[in-house]
Amino acid sequence: MSRELTNGRIAGGVALALAAGAVVALTVTSETVLSLLTQATIFAIFALGVGILLLQNGMISFGHAAFYGLGGYVVAILLERQLMSAEMALVTAFFGIALFAFLIGFVVVRVPGIAFGMLTLALGQMFYQVASRSRNLTGGADGINIPWPDTLFGLDISLLTRQDAMFYFAWSGLVLSIGIVAALMASRFGATTEAIRDNEERARFIGIQTLLPRVLIFTLSGTVTALAGLMSAFQTAFVSPESMHWSVSGTALMMVIIGGYRYLWGPALGAIVFFMSRDLVGDFAQHWLAIFGVALIVVIVFAPQGISGALARLFRRKAAVRPATPAVIHKLKERT
Amino acid sequence: MLSINIFNGLVYGALLVVMSSGLALIYGLRRVVNFAHGSLYMLGAYLGYTVASHTNFWVAQVAVPLLMGLLGLALDRFAFRPLQDRDPLTVILVTFGLLLVLEDLVQTVWGKSNLSVPAPDLLSASVDLFGMSVPAYRIAVIFFGLVVAGALTLWLRYSKMGLFVRAASTEPTITSMQGVNVDRLSGLVVAVGTALAGLAGIIAAPFLSLSPSMSSDVIIDSFVVVVTGGLGSLSGAFAAALLLGQVQAVGAVYLPEFATVLPYVLMMAVLLWRPAGFAGNRV
Repeated sequence: MSRELTNGRIAGGVALALAAGAVVALTVTSETVLSLLTQATIFAIFALGVGILLLQNGMISFGHAAFYGLGGYVVAILLERQLMSAEMALVTAFFGIALFAFLIGFVVVRVPGIAFGMLTLALGQMFYQVASRSRNLTGGADGINIPWPDTLFGLDISLLTRQDAMFYFAWSGLVLSIGIVAALMASRFGATTEAIRDNEERARFIGIQTLLPRVLIFTLSGTVTALAGLMSAFQTAFVSPESMHWSVSGTALMMVIIGGYRYLWGPALGAIVFFMSRDLVGDFAQHWLAIFGVALIVVIVFAPQGISGALARLFRRKAAVRPATPAVIHKLKERT
Repeated sequence: MLSINIFNGLVYGALLVVMSSGLALIYGLRRVVNFAHGSLYMLGAYLGYTVASHTNFWVAQVAVPLLMGLLGLALDRFAFRPLQDRDPLTVILVTFGLLLVLEDLVQTVWGKSNLSVPAPDLLSASVDLFGMSVPAYRIAVIFFGLVVAGALTLWLRYSKMGLFVRAASTEPTITSMQGVNVDRLSGLVVAVGTALAGLAGIIAAPFLSLSPSMSSDVIIDSFVVVVTGGLGSLSGAFAAALLLGQVQAVGAVYLPEFATVLPYVLMMAVLLWRPAGFAGNRV
C-alpha cells in the first residue's frame, strides 16, 4: 500500500520509470505506435487526476473534462489573441486553472456523495455549452487551431513535435506527477486526507480542519487533469468543445475504475490498457465502447479493485513476508 | 414569438415529465442514479420506429412501453438487485457501462443516420391555438405528459401498491418487516420507470428526429430535473420539468447566449442551497 512508501523508494521508482520510458522512446520506431502511446500517456495523466479525487476524497467527478478542456482553451485563446508568449501562456494556464480549481473547490467539496457527482456534471456541462456557443471567444463547435510558435523554451518546435520526443515529454509528465502525488500522500497531508475521507465527522472531532485538505485534494486533482489538457493541446495543436463533454469525464472515470484506484498507478494503467486494447481489437473498434462498457461492469461486479488491485494481490505474498521497516513503524507512530 | 416559445417549453416540459418520473421512481426505490436512462429513452424511440413502420404509431405507443418494461424487470433482477448493498457511486458507474452497451446496440441495429417517425394521421394537422398555428401532435405531447403525471399520482396516492411504494422509498427495511416484498416491488417500479423511458422515446420520436446523439442531451436535462426537484421525488420532478421547459424556452428569447447554460446554473444553485433538492427524496 501507499503508506509503505518512503521518499527514497518513490525517487527510485520515478528514476526507473523514466529510464523505462527512455528505452521505449529510443527503441520504438513506428510513428503511429509512438503517437498512440503519447495519447494513452496523456489520458493516463487525466485519469490520475480523476483517481486522486476518488482515492483521497472518496468523490466521483463527472465534470473533470472541464479542467482537461480548459487547459487547451486557455492556451489557445491566449495564443490566438497574441496576448503573451507561448511559454508564459503555458505557465498562466497551468497556475490559472490551479487557482480556479482551488476557488471552486471551496464550494463544491462541501456537497457530499451523489450530489457531488451531479454538481460536477452540471459544472462540466456548463463549460461545454459555453465553449460550443460563444463563437467569438472559443470558435464554437469548430474549436480552435492553436498557433504554436517556432521555438518553445529555446528549443526548435520541430524537435519538440518529433513523436519520440513528444512521447518522452508526456511520459515524464506522468511519472513525475505520480511521484509528486505519491510523496504528498505518504506525508502527513496524505494521512490527514485519508482520515477525513474515512470519517469526516470523527476527523473534525479530533481537531483536524477538514475543509481545506479536501479543497487541496480537489485542487491537486484539477491541476493534474489540466496538465493532461495542456499536453494534449501541444500534441494535437487543436482544442474543441468535445474535449469538455461529460462523456469524456465518464470515459476517464471508466479508466480509473478498470485500472483500480487504490494505487496511484492504477488509473494510469487503466488509461494505457484502454488505448492499447482498443488498438488490438482492430476490426471490432467500432464496438469498442460497448466492449469497454461490459469490461467496466465486470470489473465493478467481480473485481472492484481493478487491474492494479489484482496485480498487487499477486505480488502481495512476497511483500507480506518482509517485516515492516523502522521507517514505516516510525511513520505509523507519527500518525496515531 | 414569446407565446410560441412558452408553448414549446410546455411541450418539452411534458416530455421531461415522462422521462424524469421514470428516473425519479428508480432512484426512489433502488437509490440508483441511472445514467442509462437516456439510452433507454433512445432505445424506446428506435423500437418505436420499427414497430410503427410495421404497424402504426398507436400500436408502438403500447408495445414499446411493454417491451421496455420487460427489459426493466431484467435490469433490476440482474443489475440493481444484486448490487443494492454496494456503494451507490459504483452502481452509477455500472449504469454508465450499460449506457455504452445500449448506445452501441442502437447504432449497430439501426445505423447512424437520422430517422424519423411520422406523426399519426389523427394528429398530423396544424391547429389554431390562441392565434398561433401549432402542430396538433405537440398539443398531444402535453396531453401525454398530463396523463402520465395524473396516472402516476393516482397510482401512488390511492392504490395499495402505491402505498407500499411510498413506504418502501422512505423506509425499505421497516416496510419489508411489515411483510411487503420490497425486492419484487422494486423490480416492478424499475420496470415502470424503464417503460416510462421507452414511452418518452416513442412520444419524442415524431417531433424530435432519431439520432444516436439524441440520448446525451435529454439525459442531462432529466438529471437537472430530478436533482432540482429532489432525487426520488415525483411531484418535485413534475414541477421541475415544467420549470426547466420554461427556463429554456423563455431564456432563448431574453438571454439567447446564456439560455443553454441556465439549466446548469439552476441545478448548481439548488445543489448548493439544498443538496436534497426542493422536495427531499421520498416518492
